[in-house]
Amino acid sequence: MIDPRRPGIPGDITHGAVGPLPRTTGRQIVVFAGTDDDARVDWGRVGLHRVADSRDFAEGDVSPEALQDAEATVFSALGIAVVTADPGQVSRLQTAEAAGRPVLSVSPELVHHVLGDETRSYTAGYRDGVADLSGRLLAGEPVPGAAPPAAAARFEDTAQATWGVQAVRADASARTGRGIRVAVLDTGFDAAHPDFAGRAVTARSFVPGEDAQDGHGHGTHCIGTACGPRTPSTGPRYGVAPESEIFAGKVLGTDGSGTDAGILAGINWAVTSQCPVISMSLGADVMTAHPPYSAAGRRALQRGSLIIAAAGNNADRRSGDVGFVGAPANSVEIMAVGALDQALEMAYFSARSLPARGGQVDVAAPGYQVYSSWPMPTRYNTISGTSMATPHVAGLAALWAEATGRRGLELWATLLQESERLLQPSLDAGSGLAIAPQ
Amino acid sequence: MTHVSVTVDDGHLAALDGVVEGLRARGMQVDQVLDGLGIITGSVPPDAAGGLAAVAGVASVDEQLGVQLPPPDAPVQ
Repeated sequence: MIDPRRPGIPGDITHGAVGPLPRTTGRQIVVFAGTDDDARVDWGRVGLHRVADSRDFAEGDVSPEALQDAEATVFSALGIAVVTADPGQVSRLQTAEAAGRPVLSVSPELVHHVLGDETRSYTAGYRDGVADLSGRLLAGEPVPGAAPPAAAARFEDTAQATWGVQAVRADASARTGRGIRVAVLDTGFDAAHPDFAGRAVTARSFVPGEDAQDGHGHGTHCIGTACGPRTPSTGPRYGVAPESEIFAGKVLGTDGSGTDAGILAGINWAVTSQCPVISMSLGADVMTAHPPYSAAGRRALQRGSLIIAAAGNNADRRSGDVGFVGAPANSVEIMAVGALDQALEMAYFSARSLPARGGQVDVAAPGYQVYSSWPMPTRYNTISGTSMATPHVAGLAALWAEATGRRGLELWATLLQESERLLQPSLDAGSGLAIAPQ
Repeated sequence: MTHVSVTVDDGHLAALDGVVEGLRARGMQVDQVLDGLGIITGSVPPDAAGGLAAVAGVASVDEQLGVQLPPPDAPVQ
């Protein structure tokens, strides 16, 4: 529908928004569903006859003169047309049968300016802003947007959900990860945990001499965060993707140690099992990317599997040490996750980006005082680490994979594109807080 | 013995068996052929690791890394 408050007539916009309104040309921009080149629009049926179609111009290059003369100019590769039409023609365009193709939107064409014209007013505004700020600071008044003196906790665990589940908005999402396989490569899984009774779990050990049972706790905790139930038998919700299908690959032994051989075997298993999401809360404190992990990450992406890894806990920001992203997270082809606290500030241990290609933190998630499942009889445990941030992102990746059907690099891009930007350095938080589709 | 991961180049992903034969001929004990990733793991006498890179189809030979989690009762993991 055309917004009746926006008639699209030059100089005739009168509603009371704050600030200058955009100028319009009087033409309309029509967006059609799809970009199917075969489905030509029947412009004659809405009374438009001088039509310039980009398919009729060499290499789709429509000249400004043609644009000016035509009543409708069609950019077929984009599925968009610029139309000079009266309100009656516009409303006919929007009825499905008139144009022969569904119309997604009709909006007034805006006039855009280079920003140079506004330099003077911008500079004057900047001057006034600085004067205001210095006045407030000298007078001891609060400054809007400045950090509060003591960082107040913005999120906390409630009876309904952990602070992490709330912060990433998994509790407000209609998505559950249903039908999405999530591989967690870690210390295994406690198959007897009552919160996972009835769930589809495929467990496999890649540690010589050990079965897939979790003898440490780390793996059961990470699986809980990524895949835990919507309504646990007791306590708050702690899982992001409660209907995802769990693939528990044991690549770290009961003593918490593992090697490339087991980790790569786990990745190979997850990729050939067609898991779109592979969560790896593990790493070694080495500054250079490890070629086997780069190759594994690249080939996993090509086959539709996204590897998400912990940036590392080698920082101690309390003493000014920001650390660095270790392997495998420092491979270009593997997503690196930093840890946030309840105020959405960096957790003190969360590693900073390396300058080398691939060494960047890509995104951040809750990783401080994270409550999740733990092997019985302990049942639950609250621990911290980029290891805890990583499965939050893995669960979110499952929600986005379900919501969009995207896989591999497209899924990666979606997570970053949709993440909420934070007032933290991009070196530490990447694109910010990963969040769930709403 | 040195534990290594051998990364196979894109041109030999469909011919991993030939690469494995070449690695064995150069003294590598092959433990795993990860056909989903194009990576072969195993071990080799320390003085023979360098020779593996000469096998046709090998993109890189890397000594395996180890990872170690903190104990279960550590506050940061």
